[in-house]
Amino acid sequence: MMIRNSAILIILFSFTFSTGFVGGERNYAEKKMVRIPGGNFTPFFRLPNSQPIHLKPFLMDETAVTNQEFLEFVKANPQWRRSRVNRLFADSNYLKYWESDLSVGEKNKVLYNSPVVYVSWFAARAYAKWRGKRLPSVAEWEMAGEARPLNTKYKKLTDLILAWYQKPNPKVLPPVKSTYKNAYGLYDMHGLVWEWTFDFNSFIKSGDSRANTQDELQLFCASSSLYVKDKDDYASFLRYSYRGSLKGNFCIGNLGFRCAKDLK
Amino acid sequence: MAMKKNMIPLLLFFFLVACDSQPKSAFTGSVESKVSAVGTIPQESIFNLTDTFTTQDNKEVSLNQLEGKPTVMAMIFTHCTYACPRLTADVQNIEKKLGKKAEDVNFVLVSFDSERDFPTRLNEFKKEMFLDNNFTLLHGDDDAVRTLSVLLNVQFQKNSDGDFSHSNIISVLDKKGDLVFQKEGINADHTATLEQINDLLK
Repeated sequence: MMIRNSAILIILFSFTFSTGFVGGERNYAEKKMVRIPGGNFTPFFRLPNSQPIHLKPFLMDETAVTNQEFLEFVKANPQWRRSRVNRLFADSNYLKYWESDLSVGEKNKVLYNSPVVYVSWFAARAYAKWRGKRLPSVAEWEMAGEARPLNTKYKKLTDLILAWYQKPNPKVLPPVKSTYKNAYGLYDMHGLVWEWTFDFNSFIKSGDSRANTQDELQLFCASSSLYVKDKDDYASFLRYSYRGSLKGNFCIGNLGFRCAKDLK
Repeated sequence: MAMKKNMIPLLLFFFLVACDSQPKSAFTGSVESKVSAVGTIPQESIFNLTDTFTTQDNKEVSLNQLEGKPTVMAMIFTHCTYACPRLTADVQNIEKKLGKKAEDVNFVLVSFDSERDFPTRLNEFKKEMFLDNNFTLLHGDDDAVRTLSVLLNVQFQKNSDGDFSHSNIISVLDKKGDLVFQKEGINADHTATLEQINDLLK
């Protein structure tokens, strides 16, 4: 009896001990995610006959991933340290402003709560996986980003975005939640950094290839703008062509990311 | 006897603790974990991709199993009515022009279509297109296919009807998986592609 009791006790003990470790990140306050309702999304560029994409509801990080959060990932995953990362997966600009492999740096203290930038798509994807999340698709990101801005002087989202595009990159990147919040409760979807998406290489651009894809004619010949959702939405034109110019190992000073997750 | 009974909770304890570290290492064991295992693969080799794919014969493989021969690779989907059959024909033409040497080259077609192009369908496609045994057709999950497309600079997107818009690129990898040459377009002139492959076979 005694033995049985102690067995149960030990099992119970080890169980609590074990669940205490499941998250593994004892310092990581679970980042807040907000629910984005699903629905039909019309892609910005589309074929003449294409139907809208149906999106399921999902969760999205309320802000971009910060330097502090990314540091935890790098600490736990040595292969993502600046000195060790594979060039196939991150170019030489990877985290270049950090003081060292495992320190954002005293001089960068002001950046702890700012979005991490100079991170590649591969790094962003690995981070998301490590947190048990994933990168949002272009459609998800765009739908989430379309929501009405709440606390801003701009009445139209496009005006807000274009005003941001006109400004040069700030010397010191402001912290997350420093721009605006949208109707879904997401912060800084526009106005702080550009963000990686899972299928950023979806946008079929003409580039220097000829007769490359079926869609090119519809996209870029004289009739192209007929198949764009909103011809006056320059902001979207820019965003899609920016994505189209990226490669997976690019690390850029105004490009960060946030994670998404399926609803259970 | 009592000793043994005492051992069970102890073992259970260790088991549970050991289980704990498992999910974590699954997350962290991303891109580089297999690099060290392979060792000889250069940093920039596409064989560093650790995702697994399934062949038309239902075999699970990772790309580093292509090591040792140059590889001609293209991404397609089998329900494609326009570009993919032509792109596949282009790869076949490259094979033909290599003659006997084609046996020393891997010809790999990777499908974009993780929802329809399962091994059975890939096998059908292989027969429909009269692809010989130098060809391997691969199915991967969304994540694996997307990552490969990023590494090969192939743009693609799924349309609402389940078909794909995609760029048409034939890539040549050297024996260790470094991307050495690419040619875009269908019915393209593959003189340079053949030169590259011949160089790699020397």
